[in-house]
Amino acid sequence: MRKTPALLLVLTVGLVALFAAGCARKATEAPPTPPPAPPVVQPVTPEPTPVPVPETPVPVPSVTAGDFTDVFFDLDSYTLRDDAKLALDRAAKLLRDKANVNITLEGHCDERGTVEYNQALGEKRANAARDYLVNAGVSAARIQSLSYGKERPFAEGHDESAWAQNRRAHFVLR
Amino acid sequence: MKRLALVLLLTVVAVPGAHAQTREVRIDIAGGGRRTQLYCEAFTAGRLPAGAPEARQADEVLANDLEQSAVFLVSRAWAGQPPFDVQAVSGGRWKVSGGQATLEGEVRDFPARRPILSKVYRGPAADWRSLVHQFADDIVLQFTGESGVAGTRIAFIAIEGRNKELWVMDLDGAGARPLTRDRSIALSPSWSPDGSLLAFSTYRDGGSPRVYVVPAAGGKLYPVSVRSGLNTSPAYSPDGRELACTLSKDGNSEIYVLDARGGSPQRLTDNRAIDTSPCWSPTGREIAFTSDRSGSPQVYVMNRDGGNVRRLTYEVGYTDSPAWSPRGDLVAFVSRTPAGFDVYVCGADGTNARLVVSGGSNENPRWSPDGRHLVFASNREGPYALFISDLDGRPPRKLDTGGRTAMSPSWSPSASRTAVAVPTNAPNSNPGGRP
Repeated sequence: MRKTPALLLVLTVGLVALFAAGCARKATEAPPTPPPAPPVVQPVTPEPTPVPVPETPVPVPSVTAGDFTDVFFDLDSYTLRDDAKLALDRAAKLLRDKANVNITLEGHCDERGTVEYNQALGEKRANAARDYLVNAGVSAARIQSLSYGKERPFAEGHDESAWAQNRRAHFVLR
Repeated sequence: MKRLALVLLLTVVAVPGAHAQTREVRIDIAGGGRRTQLYCEAFTAGRLPAGAPEARQADEVLANDLEQSAVFLVSRAWAGQPPFDVQAVSGGRWKVSGGQATLEGEVRDFPARRPILSKVYRGPAADWRSLVHQFADDIVLQFTGESGVAGTRIAFIAIEGRNKELWVMDLDGAGARPLTRDRSIALSPSWSPDGSLLAFSTYRDGGSPRVYVVPAAGGKLYPVSVRSGLNTSPAYSPDGRELACTLSKDGNSEIYVLDARGGSPQRLTDNRAIDTSPCWSPTGREIAFTSDRSGSPQVYVMNRDGGNVRRLTYEVGYTDSPAWSPRGDLVAFVSRTPAGFDVYVCGADGTNARLVVSGGSNENPRWSPDGRHLVFASNREGPYALFISDLDGRPPRKLDTGGRTAMSPSWSPSASRTAVAVPTNAPNSNPGGRP
């Protein structure tokens, strides 16, 4: 009889962990696909308020991959555009506020380049985004970078709009 | 030893005309030389055991090999009369018994029908195709002074949905089989110079790509470079003792040379730009690679120690994917176009760049071991497939990958000879059977 509350607690923690894992995976598999914003200067939007979580005995991460905006690049470039810096400024704030969140930055390229060159280019993109976050006060230890080159395109088309979608540094929570 | 000496002696005696002919018909690949008109007569065969490879199958394998050699214009006796300008005739006898296949191959000039080449090939019936390939390669040797490539293999990357697996097949498409089943992304295969191993880059462990090696005959793969960051673009040195590859363990993609087991990395480039796609000269003294240090990707050449870096060519812009010819005199590379890439070839000193393949996107050119052909991946006919250019202005030929979408081909070194080959006059042969 005395064991019941402990058992309940274990079950609750387990369920919450499962729920959180599900969220993270879903976010990884279904990345946001905003079009590459033209470099229009926008006011920095306030941080999205965390979704209220029902009362549970353990805290759950209040940040999802959907809270991050991927960073887009020009052809053959790993230079951060103005829209990329805005996205990274928001990401840096999120990461500073939520010290328990670690991320992987995936570098991706469009199909116009060789396999091997694009692997290197994708890494340059991921590292450019990582370095910006580190300069904005995020610990380098919380960021992994990884390049998929042109191997994992977000858009399958063979035109400028697909290419623009595929030149990015993509946020994944881990 | 006595028998070997006898065999060598007989070889010389048996084909005196061959050496005299060799120079006369040597093929000039740079000039896209004339092809010799060869008429393939069907192999004669006695009664074959049930299920044994038929002579007609061997006929077709040989005719196809000779056609693909780019040395011959082939006509088939089983498809019609010989053209008026036939210069040589191939044929022979085909036997299968006791699990052994025997090919008594012959080539004669035409119309005099004096013997040019006469050899017996014997091996396991299960491996009968390689007997025919060896005969084809010897015919090419006889006419050009250099063995053909019919017995070689092609490694390639098969695209299976979102995954890419490493495959290997015979040059003619037979025997295709996967070497990885990782449901991951395998890339950039490179043959060891003895043809026994393939190094490649893979995402199989999750995280960044790593360099693995797999036996070309199939078997267990093992890691050779699992350093943090990129481990990509492996290339065996001509002596097989080293692997050049791209690593970013020090923060940026640079070219390193590792020993063949992946140890003792020596860094060759030191540049904030991208450096990748190393490729050895056949002497091992130089390495060509791609760098965007000038702002866009270009092929450069450096000495083996990383010194004396110079841009390969100024005649073409945005170049990548260098491949040094086995003779050392040429470098193939790709150059970007609105549609993707075209394939070019230039001298090793960067001069005389000429377009050899265009139309669609044409990527990852790799030389045949005889330097007579380039294999590359192209979407010129639809989904990516493998093609061969004979560098003579003729349209590229599509390789048979069994309908698989394929990229990143790599041509094996020359075939190692497994079957016994002896001149027809040796014991167990049938000289009387020759027409």
